[in-house]
Amino acid sequence: MFVPQAFISMYLPAVYAGLIVGFIGTMAIAINRRELHILILTDIVGLAMIFVVSAVGTDLAEALILPGLVVELAETLAISEILITREMRKIEQDPRANLTKSSSIFPQAFSLDMEIMTTAPNFIALVLIGYGIFLTGFTGGAVAGGGIVLYALSKKARGLPVLMLDGIAGVSGISWCLWIIGFLLFFVTPQYWLLSLFLAACGLLLKVASKVGLIGLLMREDIDNE
Amino acid sequence: MISVSLFFYFGIFLAIVGSIATAWGPGVSDPVVRTFNTEIAAIGVCLVLLCYNHVLALLTLLATTVIITLILFRAIIRLEEMGADV
Repeated sequence: MFVPQAFISMYLPAVYAGLIVGFIGTMAIAINRRELHILILTDIVGLAMIFVVSAVGTDLAEALILPGLVVELAETLAISEILITREMRKIEQDPRANLTKSSSIFPQAFSLDMEIMTTAPNFIALVLIGYGIFLTGFTGGAVAGGGIVLYALSKKARGLPVLMLDGIAGVSGISWCLWIIGFLLFFVTPQYWLLSLFLAACGLLLKVASKVGLIGLLMREDIDNE
Repeated sequence: MISVSLFFYFGIFLAIVGSIATAWGPGVSDPVVRTFNTEIAAIGVCLVLLCYNHVLALLTLLATTVIITLILFRAIIRLEEMGADV
């Protein structure tokens, strides 16, 4: 069978739990009036989605959960940006308003003069990126992206200039091309399946790792405002 | 021998309790408290994925939970500084 015997009794409770959690989340969204709270509660509905999808079982569940999570992440990012922009416009139109300078997620520069603060993040980021490239595919992209985020955040926390991530958007386009060529080769010439598999895997690696560019852009915006 | 179904049902319990705490728990008029309460439900989902052996899904869930928390905190801090009604 596709599913081990020990897991058979575990799928129905997860479906019911997902339905209960989704019901709680949507009821709370219906009751609330403030947009930011609704955005936070959308996270709960996303968790209910993960419950139901994970109860599909087998490898199909894992294949479905990954895009769901990434789409949820992009959605949260876009809606939070829209909320901030709308509030800014509202304040600019108000003549009595005093628009203070905005701060970042790290309010103060963290200046601690220890050797390990400068060397350890670089080394850990290097190991994470190397391991991510070795893994390839979605997981590798996530691990390598985590390495890049760790490097950028550790520099930002110490008040140093963050690395520029300007050309990242171009890398994303190249990775789509690799993925599409791999997909096409898979159908046109099935005997080269290993080549097309690696094309798709490397494309996904670049794609997922370059999603970090979004976070890098946000941090650059924060620095310019200071 | 620890039974797997213990972790499974504890994960479901944590997810439901965490979502109730996020929706109607104490002090949720503060968006920071509400964001922290979502973490409880996220830990419950992590336990369920662990019981199903979905390693890739578990790792991605951990990574996206951290990034979503950062994004939400950034939005909360920005909106509170601008004096918006949060």
